[in-house]
Amino acid sequence: MTRILKIISLLILLTIPSVSAQDSLPRPVTSSYRIEIGRGEARSTYLSPLKYSGTALGVSGEWQKAFQKNPEHIVMTFAGEMTYANMLNSPATARMYQFEARFNWGMAYRQRLPYNLQFTVGGLLDINGGALYIPRNGNNPVTVLANIGIDADASLSWHFNIGKLPLLLTESVKLPAVGAFFSPQYGETLYEVYLGNHKGLAHCGWWGNNFGIDNYLSIRLDFGRTAMELGYRYDYRSFHASDLTTRRSRNMFVIGIIPHGIGLKNKRKANYAGY
Amino acid sequence: MKKIIPLIVSILILISGLASCHDVPEYKNDPYGNFDALVDIVGDRYCYFKEKNIDWHATAAEYRKRISPDTKELELFQIMSELLDELKDGHVNLSSRFSTSYYRKWWSDYPQNFNLRTLQQYYLDFDYMTVSGMNYKMLPDSIGYIYIPSFGNPISQTSLDYVFAVLYGVNKAKGMIIDLRNNGGGLLTNINTLVGRFIDKPLTGGYIRHKTGPAPDAFSEPYKFTFDPAPAGRIRYQGPIIVLTNRSCYSAANNFVAVMKSLPNVRICGARTGGGGGLPFTSELPNGWAIRFSASPITDPEDKETEFGIDPSPGYAVDCTEEELAAGKDAILDFALEAYRKALGEQ
Repeated sequence: MTRILKIISLLILLTIPSVSAQDSLPRPVTSSYRIEIGRGEARSTYLSPLKYSGTALGVSGEWQKAFQKNPEHIVMTFAGEMTYANMLNSPATARMYQFEARFNWGMAYRQRLPYNLQFTVGGLLDINGGALYIPRNGNNPVTVLANIGIDADASLSWHFNIGKLPLLLTESVKLPAVGAFFSPQYGETLYEVYLGNHKGLAHCGWWGNNFGIDNYLSIRLDFGRTAMELGYRYDYRSFHASDLTTRRSRNMFVIGIIPHGIGLKNKRKANYAGY
Repeated sequence: MKKIIPLIVSILILISGLASCHDVPEYKNDPYGNFDALVDIVGDRYCYFKEKNIDWHATAAEYRKRISPDTKELELFQIMSELLDELKDGHVNLSSRFSTSYYRKWWSDYPQNFNLRTLQQYYLDFDYMTVSGMNYKMLPDSIGYIYIPSFGNPISQTSLDYVFAVLYGVNKAKGMIIDLRNNGGGLLTNINTLVGRFIDKPLTGGYIRHKTGPAPDAFSEPYKFTFDPAPAGRIRYQGPIIVLTNRSCYSAANNFVAVMKSLPNVRICGARTGGGGGLPFTSELPNGWAIRFSASPITDPEDKETEFGIDPSPGYAVDCTEEELAAGKDAILDFALEAYRKALGEQ
């Protein structure tokens, strides 16, 4: 307990303004714009006991900037993504569509390590909204995917070169910790919700009923004026409430662009958040 | 460090355990797996076992004896359909690529009390207006008549404005007949739209419940819902109304009758409706067949059961014989017209 308090105190201290040369460093925004394509799977027992799978597409963006008060150690991140999946059940008799939008805002503590390694750990606000939709279901066609919560996130980056080309290999993980999510009651139709019965639709979430992991492995190739990003994302989320279970996952290959690079190529004097 | 590593490992094990602790039942895609999935889905979610005095699992066990590992799709479909017929529920369907099961006895065992050709030829003279699926005409003695064969399509406020403008605004209907015979239901939202034209203050529409879990008696508290009057500027009608019904009025039509019956200026005329008070849910079996069943009971404004139909108002029970209908006589519509003539004559 004492150790945890020490860590929390340290994190607070790190965010307190400190007078140093770093304050005068430019703090460019590292923007990354990505297209994602892969395979999605979903199962919602509100809609069907069967698992659906199919093609998933997405676009995402991430904007990172070093925090003014402590640019060396604190990084702010805003991220957004929209995904769509068109899936079939295993006998191929019904189709499920998934629409989802997600926004994250967070701060992380950054520690540069020997051997060109960098480690971050932090927390972020996670807002997610969307739906799983089976057109052939009459009064229960949609499982609403809506949650808000606090996620823990961590990443480990390694900067290395192939020839003269700087590369940054990053593994990052987000884990939802606590929050709230939407779920109808076991046999509640959307018509009853429409009539005004909103009782018991919101549920407190924790790892026992709202588990997820967003694992993203990427490599950034810094060409100087711009950088390219290639990655693989495994994103899993499950909700359990009112004897209903909803799970969805996606395995996505990612290609992205970082318009102004990540500061490895030109060694410009700046405090890049992405590295 | 020696303490941290076991801690991290423990957390990872805990997380992986939490991720899999809400297992979803898995069924094999074979005759037994599909049959068991059907029995469990319906057993967990169907809402009228108690009202219909059905021991579902005992009944299903008898039908399961007819299955073998070699049972073909068509035969399996037949066995499952027969099992579902035990529910005696028009909201229950099993849908495969080659057929959809349907329990028909809720109407086929009763007089039809309606013939569309008779209505169109002898009462509407093949001359009536149609909008949003509603057929309407001004009948003799200033009686406005609306025939609604289905609630399958949305009824718009604008369409209703035209119907009410023609019948009530222009022709000053002294009474209105809403004919719902053979209306098998459709969109419940049409009830809100229609009922709003006949009330001037919020009206209790009924009560709705839902299952809160798989246990047989796990139901929510009844939720009372109300209907609001049509928005200001829309034409409303609060004169006498007679609603015509037969056994083929089902589901949303049945709900509409239940609500209208609670209004003091409304009489229900004809035969008992077919019922269908349970809002259906859809699920599916491992082989991809869809199963639809009543899941969420809706009761009338006095919280009385509507699954078994709504009776006509006292003194308004009327039947038509097939001979009468074939001869061009619609006894139910005649009764309603005569009731208006008498009432208007007395005024």
